[in-house]
Amino acid sequence: MVQAQHRARVPDLRGDIGQVLISEEEIRNKVRELGAQVTADYTGRSVTLVSVLKGSLPFMADLMRAIDVPVQIDLMEVSSYGGATTETSGLVRILKDLSSSIAGRDVLIVEDIIDTGLTLNYLLRYLRGKNPASLRICALLDKPARRLVEIPIDYTGFTIPDEFVVGYGLDFGEFYRNLPFIGVLRRELYETA
Amino acid sequence: MTDETRFAHASEAELSRILDYYGVRWEYEPRTFPIMWGLDGKVVESFSPDFYLPDMDMYVELTTLKQSLVRRKNRKLRRLRELYPDIRIKLFYGKDFRALMLKYGRVDLAASLSGLEGQVAADRINSRLKADAENAAERDDVTVAAGPETTSVQTETSVQTELSTSQSTASPRRRPRASRGSRRRRGRRAFAAARVVA
Repeated sequence: MVQAQHRARVPDLRGDIGQVLISEEEIRNKVRELGAQVTADYTGRSVTLVSVLKGSLPFMADLMRAIDVPVQIDLMEVSSYGGATTETSGLVRILKDLSSSIAGRDVLIVEDIIDTGLTLNYLLRYLRGKNPASLRICALLDKPARRLVEIPIDYTGFTIPDEFVVGYGLDFGEFYRNLPFIGVLRRELYETA
Repeated sequence: MTDETRFAHASEAELSRILDYYGVRWEYEPRTFPIMWGLDGKVVESFSPDFYLPDMDMYVELTTLKQSLVRRKNRKLRRLRELYPDIRIKLFYGKDFRALMLKYGRVDLAASLSGLEGQVAADRINSRLKADAENAAERDDVTVAAGPETTSVQTETSVQTELSTSQSTASPRRRPRASRGSRRRRGRRAFAAARVVA
């Protein structure tokens, strides 16, 4: 009985979305567009796409297939800040590092969303230390209203308003990542969380 | 990073921990900008942004009071921008702070670190930060004393060390605590806000 009381609410995948911000078709077209830009910029070279788990997975999977130059991929995962009451170590941890060296390679970081820029700023410093030939950033979503650290973004999909968005890899409590579109989560779901 | 600093508000302490976590250097209230002078030329009003981020050359002012209570701060910020157009400053409102906490899955913390409650909590947090720093120092001592067995650390730890070392070598100058004037002003604002709420 006690367990049942504490069982988390099962999300209503589509019913919890207040508004579809970017449709599946708009995402598809934009990814194709970004792929063409990357192809043009890296013609005659190969590029290593580095994706940051977990939110960037769908974008990475679609983008790599829209790029028409030789591509290698790698994945990273970094810890996220957990708040004052739970976190005492006080520093970002690399939960999953690169599988192979990027020294001398052209690297493109593939991100789902850039808001504060804190995680990406950390990653940029970390990856620069690995001596890539070049290091660029491709972000599907840019939320500049939340920016704390200015980051030069080389390829931007959509600039979005200051809303809490989920879908296409983006989560709330690890759910909603499998939505094929990007939607605004109904406010009452996280304000009462 | 936060052991020497006494924050006037719990949300400021939390933001400092977030910046520390991601290896962003910061200074707490390092500069006061005069924004109004009397006829005798004396400064009658000034503004001390909460944080300065030297690597970004940007100031951050954090206010978690209700939107209706931040009008005075907005006015001061406008005045600052008029007088010092080269200064880059970002105002972080309560809703921005709540969104930040939501992003890190700690929306439950947002309420207790915001508004007047956050001012009360600041002392508790300052004490805890001091205790954390002391514990960390003790852990460092233990690690050093443990010798070679502790050198088989994972890559992630060496990365942290690398980044945090470069950070600490360029450790910014920080005021040990908010100035008396700043604390008085904050106290007056809290009192005024409490009267409005009441």
